[in-house]
Amino acid sequence: MGPNLLVNYGEAVAAILFCIGFTNLLLQTNLIKKIIGLNIMDSAIYLFLAEKGYIAGRAAPIVTNGVTSVEAYINPIPSGLVLTGIVVSVSVSALMLSLTIRLYLRYHTLNLDEIAAQLKKEGR
Amino acid sequence: MDFVCNFPFFSILLSLFSGTICSILPGRAAKVVNRIVIAAVGVMSGILLVYLLGTGESFVYWMGHFPAPWGNEIRAGVLEAGMALFFCIIMYLSMAGGAHKLFDEVEESKHNLYYILINLLLSSLLALVYTNDMFTAYVFVEINTISACGLIMIRQVGRTIEAAVRYMIMSLLGSGLLLFGLCIMYDLTGHLLMSNIKESVSVLIQTGEYQIPLIVSVALMCVGLCIKSALFPFHAWLPDAYGYSTVSSAAILSSLVSKGYIFLLIKIIYRVIGFDIFNNTRIIDVLFVFGLMGMIFGSLSAIKENDIRRMIAFSSVAQIGYIYMGFGMGTQAGMVASIFHILSHAATKSLLFIAAIGLTEVSGGSRKFIDLTGAGYRNKWAGVAFTAGSLSMVGVPLFSGFISKLLFAQAAVQVEGKMLAALIVLGISTVLNAIYFMKTVIRIYAVTGDTSYPCITFKDMKVHAVVLVLFVIVNILLGVSSQPVVNMIEQGLAMFA
Amino acid sequence: MYLILLPILFPILAGVCLLVCRKDLSRKLLTVTTGTCLVITGALAITALTRVKQDFTLFYLTRTLPVYFHIDQISILFSLLTVIVFLCAGFFSFAYMKHEQKEKRYYGYYLMAFGVLNGLCFAGNLITFYLFFELLTLSSFPLVLHTGSKEAIMAGLKYLFYSLCGAYASLFGIYFLCQNCDTLTFTAGGVLQVSAASKDGSFFLFLAFMMILGFGVKAGMFPMHAWLPTAHPAAPAPASATLSAVIVKAGVLALIRVIYYIFGADFIRGTWVQTTWLALALVTVFMGSMLAYREPVLKKRLAYSTVSQLSYILFGLAVMNEEAFTGSLLHVLAHGFIKGTLFLTAGAIIYTTGKTKVDELRGIGKEMPLTMWCYTIVSLGLIGIPPTGGFVSKWYLAIGGLAGDIGIFRYLGPAILLVSALLTAGYLLPLTIRGFFPGTDYDYQTLQKREPCPLMTIPILFMTILSVLIGLFPTVIVDTLTDFVSTLI
Repeated sequence: MGPNLLVNYGEAVAAILFCIGFTNLLLQTNLIKKIIGLNIMDSAIYLFLAEKGYIAGRAAPIVTNGVTSVEAYINPIPSGLVLTGIVVSVSVSALMLSLTIRLYLRYHTLNLDEIAAQLKKEGR
Repeated sequence: MDFVCNFPFFSILLSLFSGTICSILPGRAAKVVNRIVIAAVGVMSGILLVYLLGTGESFVYWMGHFPAPWGNEIRAGVLEAGMALFFCIIMYLSMAGGAHKLFDEVEESKHNLYYILINLLLSSLLALVYTNDMFTAYVFVEINTISACGLIMIRQVGRTIEAAVRYMIMSLLGSGLLLFGLCIMYDLTGHLLMSNIKESVSVLIQTGEYQIPLIVSVALMCVGLCIKSALFPFHAWLPDAYGYSTVSSAAILSSLVSKGYIFLLIKIIYRVIGFDIFNNTRIIDVLFVFGLMGMIFGSLSAIKENDIRRMIAFSSVAQIGYIYMGFGMGTQAGMVASIFHILSHAATKSLLFIAAIGLTEVSGGSRKFIDLTGAGYRNKWAGVAFTAGSLSMVGVPLFSGFISKLLFAQAAVQVEGKMLAALIVLGISTVLNAIYFMKTVIRIYAVTGDTSYPCITFKDMKVHAVVLVLFVIVNILLGVSSQPVVNMIEQGLAMFA
Repeated sequence: MYLILLPILFPILAGVCLLVCRKDLSRKLLTVTTGTCLVITGALAITALTRVKQDFTLFYLTRTLPVYFHIDQISILFSLLTVIVFLCAGFFSFAYMKHEQKEKRYYGYYLMAFGVLNGLCFAGNLITFYLFFELLTLSSFPLVLHTGSKEAIMAGLKYLFYSLCGAYASLFGIYFLCQNCDTLTFTAGGVLQVSAASKDGSFFLFLAFMMILGFGVKAGMFPMHAWLPTAHPAAPAPASATLSAVIVKAGVLALIRVIYYIFGADFIRGTWVQTTWLALALVTVFMGSMLAYREPVLKKRLAYSTVSQLSYILFGLAVMNEEAFTGSLLHVLAHGFIKGTLFLTAGAIIYTTGKTKVDELRGIGKEMPLTMWCYTIVSLGLIGIPPTGGFVSKWYLAIGGLAGDIGIFRYLGPAILLVSALLTAGYLLPLTIRGFFPGTDYDYQTLQKREPCPLMTIPILFMTILSVLIGLFPTVIVDTLTDFVSTLI
């Protein structure tokens, strides 16, 4: 396993980044920091996919000079997945941000624990 | 290929586009469109189910012109069609049952928004049920999350927004894990279509290569879906989300949304990893243990709860625990029991939510038990329906809950190591269920001197009453003639292989 | 064929109609309707008992579990008891319920419990039986919490909780039996597969024990008896009469069905299960009598007496020979009529005087002579003095106990039965003594005749006469029983 990790350092970095993002999303009490964590987590996955899709020394998957051999290009599917993923991630982040704005307007704080405390005080 | 085979695709597309159409329609028209779409999808799923039962084998539907390893696919078998039909029935009844409350809960200008979300939710549920492609599944999981979040927060109260944020956070953690597991799986096998992945996985298992990444990937996907379906330690968001959103939302969220994720997990277990391979991992033991814990702690929280809707929500945690316990047994019988419980719980939980709203209505809108005293007399239909739902939850014969408990127990008896734990926890959980549901039933039928609240008769709540009766009928049908349903589930599981 | 469904469905539907009906019926109309329904149900039940020879499968719950009805001698015995007690207590309650609220609800659940009990008697397999057993709990517990006072609600909850726990303990056994029996249809001699029984013998014994404990809850067997003394006094008197005379007998019926028709007597005989069961039954007999002896409130005293007397029956079942079994069945009938009468008299006393404690009831015999004479006669029966019903049944029980192959219990059993009979005299007769001989300082001037109306006295009188008749002509019943008892043992 050890040598594999060294060779696949890109994937290892992606995994570490994923963990950082995940913990941030889970443990931060500040909503904005949570959203940043979410984006780190998603980007880590895109890094992982991109790293997997790239094959050293090959060209982008666009047919140039009439070369149609599969051997000449990298795998295009991960890139497609990354694009789809980014779309999803953007929409989710937008939704989260809008929710955050709502909460901020109502409770004047970004701290989720404080909001929960205020809600308890409202008692409904 | 018969024309019927287009139906899964049609139903997904129909609900997706009707959502878009709803955005330009006024609220009342949007409601009509929404109902028609749900009914139409239900009818199509029904026809599909009959067709599939006739042919006896599942089919694969190409999305576009490319065959297996490259194109995107839809796959339909008996279980998928049955689930889609059932989801439509429950969704239609939940929508009809909560419709009269919608005007109190949501501003009228936002009604069409509400129906957009419902249509989106339906389409994503259908896609989760039918899809044969892992990445499509992920995308629709996200759509499902977004629309569910919208359904929670459409009632603009502080609590619901907070609940929606919590729900989003947990869901995003879940879908992040799912996506990461998915990517590792893609990395290992080079495929995204379920059937192709399964072939590669069995090759990997035979050669013994990449065992650890494979297990990690499976575990990540499982944990992700467990979080999203609110398995025990991940349930913190659930009571607020179910407790404070609109009635229809609560009924749909508890009975359908979490079940959509669970159904996806079943598909992953059967169609991606392979049932036997999955059962040889330690993951099922983890699921089993958390299922058991959920059954007990969910019920304990429900006993402590003082708010009827939150109590029902906590009871969902316990019921989800039952389902995962069935997965954890690692046998066909356990799986059948779990799937039956998905149906039974969906029918019962939405009934309870819809009935509970009838009871709170006649108690000045309060959901505290103290105010609900005698509510069963003020709204007789809701009282009777709530009692029926409670009896089903407790597991009284003739109701669906009894059959699912019977199936669980019969499955548990066949598994040597887990038999005793499962049966004992099943017993404890049944008694706990009985405590809090019977407590509620007694409370709503207790005699009270307070006559300040209004009484409601059939005339004031025609639709509501009819919906409640239909729900009770669905429940009793599942409880009385469970055999055809169980046969169908078994046939559907056989088609998964 | 469908005749067998009528005595079950008709009262249940009638009860539901009464509950659902929104209009406030006048009291007269309500009693007339309920009375008609009760009489029709009784007639239907008796017709079904005499006419129906065939089995009847209603539908299948799952592939192997039909809802199935079948009538045999045990059904006939329990069903007759049910019909008589429900009719008598029903007519009694028309007078008694005058001073209670929400009569309609009471009659609704009363009718439903009647139908469910008929279903319980006619059930032909374990699953059907379990179904009606659960329904019985649910339809009878509104009767317990009828008054709606805090005590009644707590008593009702306690009853519900104990019953559900018990039912689940039995369901635990049913789960395993489903796997290891060819069928769950009640068959004399048991249906447990020989292979399974010999392979996992000790495990199935454990299951049998669980089921005895679980169904024993309903029959008030130690250690799960605590619900009974709280639930009975909380209910209105006619409801406690049916609870005590019939509904707790459902537990007895359950044990007969499970031990003699599913596991088979041979499987249990001579094992630790039988020994423990005997011990528990005897402990309950003694403890129930002791508690009754120390209890000042009349209805509570009668409830403790029920705890004790039911375990006489369970003792007879646990001995597992013909005499003891016959004794048990006789005691089911005798105790049913006697305890029904006792609770009805207690109800009549409460209704007319409003007093609940035994000590307060001095001179009651002078005020209500007829009622108190009935009380005295059936009390003598419960103690076991000939020629009343209790004597014959206890005689058979004692003979069975002495003849049984049960080690030390052979002597211990009859001895405890005797001691308990003395205690029974000790707790029942003081009321008679105080009632008829109030003492010299009693003020005879204020004495007035307060006999309750005929609607109350006639049911009491009728059941008293029945309990005496059983004692006078026991051979009629014993002869019909012997044939089929021998097939069970």
